[in-house]
Amino acid sequence: MENMMQALILLLAGFLVVFTVLILLIAIVTIYSKIIRVVQSAGEKKKEIRSAEKTENQEKNALRSVTRQEIEDDDGEIPGEIIAVIAAAVDAVYGEKPHRIKSVRKSREKRSSWAKAGALQNTRPF
Amino acid sequence: MEILTQLWQIICHLFEESGFSKLSWENYVMVGISFVLMYLAIKKQFEPLLLLPIAFGMCLVNLFPGIMGLPTTEMLTEAEMLSKNLDPSTYTTTVYNGVTYYNHIEYGGLFYYLYQGVKLGIYPPLIFLGIGCMTDFGPLIANPKSFILGAAAQVGIFLTFIIATALGIFTPAEAGSIAIIGGADGPTAIFVTTKLAPQLLGPIAVAAYSYMALVPIIQPPIMRLLTTKKERSVVMGQLRPVSKLERILFPIIVVVIVALLLPDAAPLVGMLMLGNLFKESGVVERINKTAQNELMNIITIFLGVTVGATATGKVFLTVQTAGIIGLGLFAFCLATACGVLFGKLMYVFTKGKVNPLIGSAGVSAVPMAARISQKVGQEENPGNFLLMHAMGPNVAGVIGSAVAAGVILSVLGK
Repeated sequence: MENMMQALILLLAGFLVVFTVLILLIAIVTIYSKIIRVVQSAGEKKKEIRSAEKTENQEKNALRSVTRQEIEDDDGEIPGEIIAVIAAAVDAVYGEKPHRIKSVRKSREKRSSWAKAGALQNTRPF
Repeated sequence: MEILTQLWQIICHLFEESGFSKLSWENYVMVGISFVLMYLAIKKQFEPLLLLPIAFGMCLVNLFPGIMGLPTTEMLTEAEMLSKNLDPSTYTTTVYNGVTYYNHIEYGGLFYYLYQGVKLGIYPPLIFLGIGCMTDFGPLIANPKSFILGAAAQVGIFLTFIIATALGIFTPAEAGSIAIIGGADGPTAIFVTTKLAPQLLGPIAVAAYSYMALVPIIQPPIMRLLTTKKERSVVMGQLRPVSKLERILFPIIVVVIVALLLPDAAPLVGMLMLGNLFKESGVVERINKTAQNELMNIITIFLGVTVGATATGKVFLTVQTAGIIGLGLFAFCLATACGVLFGKLMYVFTKGKVNPLIGSAGVSAVPMAARISQKVGQEENPGNFLLMHAMGPNVAGVIGSAVAAGVILSVLGK
């Protein structure tokens, strides 16, 4: 009789606990899923807006940089084709990030390539 | 003539030392049963990964019981040590009644040491770790209502507990261990039994894994009996995609809730969720692969052979074992029926959007039970794909049976 009482208590406790825990999990999973989906969909919308803006900026930047390059080219220092290649390379590196080429100058050859390699070797951080 | 006498004596000695003179009829019956299980594992491929090592362990222990032998310490006098060609200087001594005895330790059998992982409750949580690495909780996160079906299938456990207690041949702790077979979850059954009724581990483990292996035979008739053709033909809508963040948060949230509410279930659920976090985080690919392959395989071998080795003739061939086998089958059928009946309730409440067949997958047996839902559903409608819908209740069943085990342990384990 005592065993049957214990069995009945376990039956009721078992039903109660198992269903409570799993219903609690249903509620929590449903809530956090909704929150995550709302946050993620808002984030995606922002991303879309940003990427649209970036594309516009890129187009504008490309136009500006080419204009400036052409002005410098008029000075006769650097050929226009070289500037066009540099502008394309810069655009390829920076991509979607907003960027602008302010000037293109010839670098002065102070050190030979071997000297530069040596300096790099000796000054490289550990 | 003397040579012949000596030869005869040697033959007699060898016979006395052999298994033929030491084994009882129960051992031979058990060897026969192990052959049947090996046949089922190899020929019918019923859960072969576990059934084969279990069957072989059963066979080996009944042919050579010493493989599960306990370590012993024998106290020998110096004269006895020397007669056995043992060096007394390398042994510790005990002085008793003024006589010095040497402690000669006989080490236990191989399976005795491997069995410690079962006895101490180490292997089942490690198996759960591997299962966690292999489990996709996506369908459950996409449709959290599946948890209800996982809970419904656990009703079979508690109803079987009442019946096992009412029979009067089992103590409440033994009845709890038998009832957990209804969860169709081998590691959970072993975990609970080692803590509540270790003497019944052999029959309960064999029954649990046998019924898991027999899911394709046991479940479909119950499913067909309890559902109408119209219900079985229901085509469920496609599940929504689940984001990576949801997948990563799921194991963390589940372990926090379950471990706080039911600490007894923490080892099982904790390891299951750790494995799943390995998988979903994507940052520990090496550990994930090891846990679901090498570690899982090693533990499966150790668990299988040592659980099989607990099924010796004298333990297994009893009225209690017959009761365990019968009650285990009852628990499993009841769990399936409760799952399907709750599935029918959901069918009514959702106005026919839920196919009740996915309810039977609420018993653990991952992924076999989900495959059966898919198979029975396709028999009615070949274009119906229930597998992913059934995986939700199926993995919920794993969590549900671990929670049910926690309840049983906390109530009966005191």
